[in-house]
Amino acid sequence: MDVFVESVGKVWTGQHGAAVPALDTISHRFRSRRFSCILGPSGCGKSTLAQIIGGLEQPSSGQVEVRDPRSANETIPIGAESVMVWQNQNLFPWRTVIDNVAFGLEMRGIAKRERDGRARTLLASVGLQGFERHYPHQLSGGMRQRVALARALILGKPILLMDEPFGALDAQTKIVMQEELLRIFEETHKTVIFVTHSIDEAILLGDEIIMMTSRPGRIKEVIDVDLPRPRSLDMVNTPEFGALFDKAFHLIRDEVTKAMAEQSASIRGMT
Amino acid sequence: MMKRNGLTIGERLLPALSIIGFLIAWQLFVTLRGIPPIYLPSPVAIVVAIYDMVVDGSLFANLGATLLRIFTGFLLAMVAGIAIGLIMGMSRLLYRIADPWIAALYPLPKISLIPLLIIWLGTGETYKIVISAVTAFFPIVMSTYAGVCQVDRDLMRAAEDLGANRRQVQFNVVIPAAVPTIFAGLQLGMGVTIILVIAAEMIGGSSRVGMGYVLIDAGQILETEKVFAALIVLALMGAAIMKLQQWIGNRLTPWSSGR
Repeated sequence: MDVFVESVGKVWTGQHGAAVPALDTISHRFRSRRFSCILGPSGCGKSTLAQIIGGLEQPSSGQVEVRDPRSANETIPIGAESVMVWQNQNLFPWRTVIDNVAFGLEMRGIAKRERDGRARTLLASVGLQGFERHYPHQLSGGMRQRVALARALILGKPILLMDEPFGALDAQTKIVMQEELLRIFEETHKTVIFVTHSIDEAILLGDEIIMMTSRPGRIKEVIDVDLPRPRSLDMVNTPEFGALFDKAFHLIRDEVTKAMAEQSASIRGMT
Repeated sequence: MMKRNGLTIGERLLPALSIIGFLIAWQLFVTLRGIPPIYLPSPVAIVVAIYDMVVDGSLFANLGATLLRIFTGFLLAMVAGIAIGLIMGMSRLLYRIADPWIAALYPLPKISLIPLLIIWLGTGETYKIVISAVTAFFPIVMSTYAGVCQVDRDLMRAAEDLGANRRQVQFNVVIPAAVPTIFAGLQLGMGVTIILVIAAEMIGGSSRVGMGYVLIDAGQILETEKVFAALIVLALMGAAIMKLQQWIGNRLTPWSSGR
């Protein structure tokens, strides 16, 4: 699925009714079966952009179109072909692991036997067999994120939106999860739109990196990541990786400095 | 030194020793000072009074009547409170309709409704059940409403993203998320139900049965050891009901017990 983001802007209504611009005329074509990373300083609106693409948030201006490249004339309703994996997982605490994973199928009215079978297969593929009857609070952060991933993948949607899914994990767990995601991408080749603030992560995972400016978010530059696939963590030490890192780092450093200056100004303004 | 849970055996026995020590001191005090039993009966006399009530069957008849009233009143309040609380939480319109009534009636001490209810309903079973149900209704409806309103919006969005429609979100996210808060309301409701049933049995109880009636009757004829006996039975009954409720709550919400 191709995702066409056309002049999308988002303005929040802040305190006292003031308009806070979050996104400023974003245009980009996310290509089918590609792994795109949206990279930017915190508060640049990258999560908002992912949510707009997923139909979870309405843009204030512009539009998003989803098209199947094989029948490019028809547009597909926003959100119909995508599913989100959230940073804080948003698992349902009162449902067991298997019932969380099977949630989407249950909503579609698929019989319990079938949905449990599919959920079990998917849980095994993310290394969680034996944890079907656990509750989310009994699992570690990494395991919860695997459940969240399985819950999204079970729907078989061609577009996978990921909003800083590994942002809250410790460094070791994050590495394991990144490798897991690379493996899943090799197998399924979904259209992945992955929000992150980690340069390493964006280079390791992505085919392209959409660099965002600080608030209001605009696209500063799109970097193509031409590292070969399948990717592995060993590539982090190659000169090609290093060159991409330097390029992205210099672009983002200005934006982070700008964002920090803005933040301290607004804090000073409050006191 | 044997230690379990970081407590020595001496420390573990301390609560029991504290009660036993108090009872011994009480017994010695009334015996040695010759306190008349109509003011303060001895612990032994109280135990004998409980034993007598068990043997002649009056304890079970009275306790049974009280428990029946408590559970009937509570059940009515629970059904109405949860239903109306859920409806208020899910429909802005019905919230606007119900809110002024709840806001106006909640602060009213429900016990002050007793004269009116006796005029309308007489002093029979209906009056006792209605007064307890009306009282328990308020904490239950308010907790249910609060539970529905406090549901994590992100969970609702996640459910929508996974394909749940409006009704499915309400049944699969809003209601289960509210269960722990509803249970807290049910515990408050049970507490006030017990109070109001006993009070209603004391005031104008024409049926001459129930623990509240035993209390007021024994008090009027200065059978003080029977008053104490009834108080102890009521305290144990209250503790047992609360424990039962906690147990049911933990069984129904296994996800919230581990946090």
